[in-house]
Amino acid sequence: MTPDIANMLAFGVLALASIASAIGVIAFKNAVHSALSLILTLFFVAMFYLQLGAMFIAVVQILIYAGAIMVLFLFVVTMLSPDTQEMEKNRLSWQRYAGILLGIVLVGALSYLIYSQVSSGSIMQTQHESLQQVVQKQGDIQAFGLALFHGFAFPFEVTSLLIVVAIIGALVFGRRSS
Amino acid sequence: MPAVVNLPPLSAYLVVSAILFTIGVLGVIIRRNPLIVFMSIELMLNAVNLSFLAFSRFLDSADGQMFVFVVLTVAAAEVVVGLAIIVTIFRTRRNIDVDEMNMLRG
Amino acid sequence: MQNFGLWMLLPPLLGFIILGLLGKVFSRAVIQTVAWAACGISFLAAGLNFLVMLGTAPDQRVSDVVHYTWMASGLASEFKVDFGILYDPLTAVMMLVITGVGLLIHIYSAGYMKDDPGFWRFFAYLNFFIFSMALLVLANNFLFLLVGWGLVGLASFLLIGFWYQRPAPVAAARKAFVINIIGDFGLMIALFLIFSNFGSLQYQEVFSHTAKLAAGSTTAIVICLLLFVACAAKSAQLPLYMWLPDAMEGPTPVSALIHAATMVTAGVYLVARTHVLFELAPTALLVVGIIGGLTALFAATIALVQLDIKRVLAYSTISQLGYMFMAESVHNYGAGIFHLMTHAFFKALLFLGAGAVIIALAHEQDMRKMGGLWKRMPITAWTFLIATLAISGVPPFAGFWSKDEILSTLFAQAMSTGNAVYYVLWGLALLTAALTAFYMFRLFFIVFTGTYRGEQAVVRRHEEEEEEEEEPGHHATPVPYYEIREVPGVMSTPLVLLGILSVVGGLIGMPFWSPFGQFLEPIFHGVEAPHLSGGMEWVSVILSLVAAAIGFGAAWSIYRKGYAYREKRNPFYQLLFNKYYVDELLDAILVKPILALGRGLTTALENFTLEGVSRGIAGVFRGTSSGLRTLQTGYMRNYAFIILVGVVLIILYYVVMRG
Repeated sequence: MTPDIANMLAFGVLALASIASAIGVIAFKNAVHSALSLILTLFFVAMFYLQLGAMFIAVVQILIYAGAIMVLFLFVVTMLSPDTQEMEKNRLSWQRYAGILLGIVLVGALSYLIYSQVSSGSIMQTQHESLQQVVQKQGDIQAFGLALFHGFAFPFEVTSLLIVVAIIGALVFGRRSS
Repeated sequence: MPAVVNLPPLSAYLVVSAILFTIGVLGVIIRRNPLIVFMSIELMLNAVNLSFLAFSRFLDSADGQMFVFVVLTVAAAEVVVGLAIIVTIFRTRRNIDVDEMNMLRG
Repeated sequence: MQNFGLWMLLPPLLGFIILGLLGKVFSRAVIQTVAWAACGISFLAAGLNFLVMLGTAPDQRVSDVVHYTWMASGLASEFKVDFGILYDPLTAVMMLVITGVGLLIHIYSAGYMKDDPGFWRFFAYLNFFIFSMALLVLANNFLFLLVGWGLVGLASFLLIGFWYQRPAPVAAARKAFVINIIGDFGLMIALFLIFSNFGSLQYQEVFSHTAKLAAGSTTAIVICLLLFVACAAKSAQLPLYMWLPDAMEGPTPVSALIHAATMVTAGVYLVARTHVLFELAPTALLVVGIIGGLTALFAATIALVQLDIKRVLAYSTISQLGYMFMAESVHNYGAGIFHLMTHAFFKALLFLGAGAVIIALAHEQDMRKMGGLWKRMPITAWTFLIATLAISGVPPFAGFWSKDEILSTLFAQAMSTGNAVYYVLWGLALLTAALTAFYMFRLFFIVFTGTYRGEQAVVRRHEEEEEEEEEPGHHATPVPYYEIREVPGVMSTPLVLLGILSVVGGLIGMPFWSPFGQFLEPIFHGVEAPHLSGGMEWVSVILSLVAAAIGFGAAWSIYRKGYAYREKRNPFYQLLFNKYYVDELLDAILVKPILALGRGLTTALENFTLEGVSRGIAGVFRGTSSGLRTLQTGYMRNYAFIILVGVVLIILYYVVMRG
């Protein structure tokens, strides 16, 4: 089916916007500007998620990623910022150009592969029950919840362990050096 | 391909994801401020999340969303620890230029 | 017929083991007893076996006993070597000589070596030598002959280098061993050829199947010449004789036993044992004879002017061995063995007598410092005189009969074949006989008659510091004349016994009555030894007596009035005195180039190749690692970059492959 105009337009705008703000992340000299740019990018990517039908993830992205994580980033950036201007000369200036070149190559290669593989329809079908049917029956969030607690209960528990570890790590680092 | 309601093709999403990823990589390589490097890493993670979700939608499976869930959690934990490290380094060295941390040279 | 081979073989081995392991803690009396007993039992066994043999009929006097099979390899045991003992008349004679003279020298050594700290070692080695020589002679196959051959070489090495704390004996031992190896090599190749032609290494097998080798064929000649190479090395013939004079660095009993009476005669024994093969190769026999003759004359000329008492005797041994080979070369193996036996008696006696003199003069070996010992050491002097008469071929002493037989057999061969070569050989032999008489009596007169010159050396030594480097002996302070004493009984008894043997030992081999020849006849029965008719026999006898008389007369006239050493400048004398400069020649031609080659190879191989390769390899690693180290910049961004490069490469690979 041909995608309809609204979706294409939305996609195009979002794509351009997210790419532009991503470039902003790496281009700004000021770290605070970079952080704000990243927040924007996250926001646009969340829009993408919405378009793809992942409601819960989109919301979680905005709440947690853009909300909590980036705020943390901003704290640290502002704490360290006066000293973080890149004042000394760059010892590896050649990497900038080489990196850009390689970046272009990477994008080109990946795009090529994507187009050649994906368009040819060589992607496998999955064996799990169709998501769309569940969504239609019970709604997005319910679908997400069912999948999480039926198939991925163990990873879910493990992630909580991971968070504990991170907390402990942060505490250890946060102590005044003894 | 199962019925996807008029969305742009899968390859489009994947290309966008690839571009975002590459931008993140460039950020790691080019910038010297570790905070910005970290942010670039977050950017890369997000690009990957995007492609996961695209596949989830187009392959009609919830697995992709599960992956993204876990990746999100991991990213959060990672940011916590990473920022703690950077702060600690700043405390001891008063300087967070990545190029100055070259004591592992051979 | 019974075979007491093991009783002859094993006691000395046992003695060696006991003395070798425990000798250090034994007292001298115990060591002596063990050694004497070991050799004594061997001698008793040899004697008993000999008597048993006399009691059996002549055609049954062979006993070939196999004790066990040492190795049998090949699908049908094609290569089978047994440890077996062959006891026949030839063996009987050899064993009697070896153990008998050996026992006398064992007894003598107890006196000679009594102050030496290595007393136990000496007797251990001596027993080992008796064992090895017995093995060589008793073996019933070529392989154990080779084993014995090698072992006696080892025993010789150990005994020559007995006083290893000094450099000269060590060098001499090394020289002996190296030259012997050449002989061993020849023997081994000969063994290979024998096996490939006859299919077996047993004497019985080889000697009874002579049809497998065509007479006069090249193979036969080659085998015999290779065997003779071994003989030339072991019996010090040209061109492998150089080790024997140097071997005099060993203790005098060693020189007596090994380098006069027994080991050097192994070559003569070998030719006699394998005479069947030599009969198939007349050319080889001719070569044997020529070398024997040339050696005899060559060595005799050198002995004319030597100043060390032992060196004169060493060259004399070489010369007499040449005689034995000359006899064997004209198919008269019996005469060679006969001379072997009589030579053992008088040469051992000469060496032991020389040893007595050396001991009495506190290890002085330079004849210029001797003289007038007749009155002080009567027993030694008399026995020495007997031996000198014997070696010079004066009847009725032992040497006369054996030497005369050799001369007459050479003459007979010359006359019967008309071959000029044999006439030349006979002439050489006759000339050498005259020279032998001369230098032996020169030795006798210088040492025993005249006035004692040792004390002049005492005076002179204070005046001049110069001492020639080749002066032999340990030269301690010279012994004053009135302190020279006859040696004790343990040393003089063997002298007397050997003296008796030197007197009567030859009487069993006289031309008209030769029980010795008859005894050995079954062994050599296929061979026709040339003999002179009655009339010519007398001619030969008279000629040999004339030769001896000339030699004696010349010595008498020159040296009777005492001896005053004057260094002669004439070049002929110098040539003889320096042994024809053979050692120097070989040093320049062989030794130095080989050492230089070795040094060159060491430089090339070690420095260049080994060091180069190993350093090269290490260098490669160092280079690579320092090259790789540049990757470890410590900059995180570099690492990230490299990761990116890697990722790009992988993706490009997919692009290329799948695209």
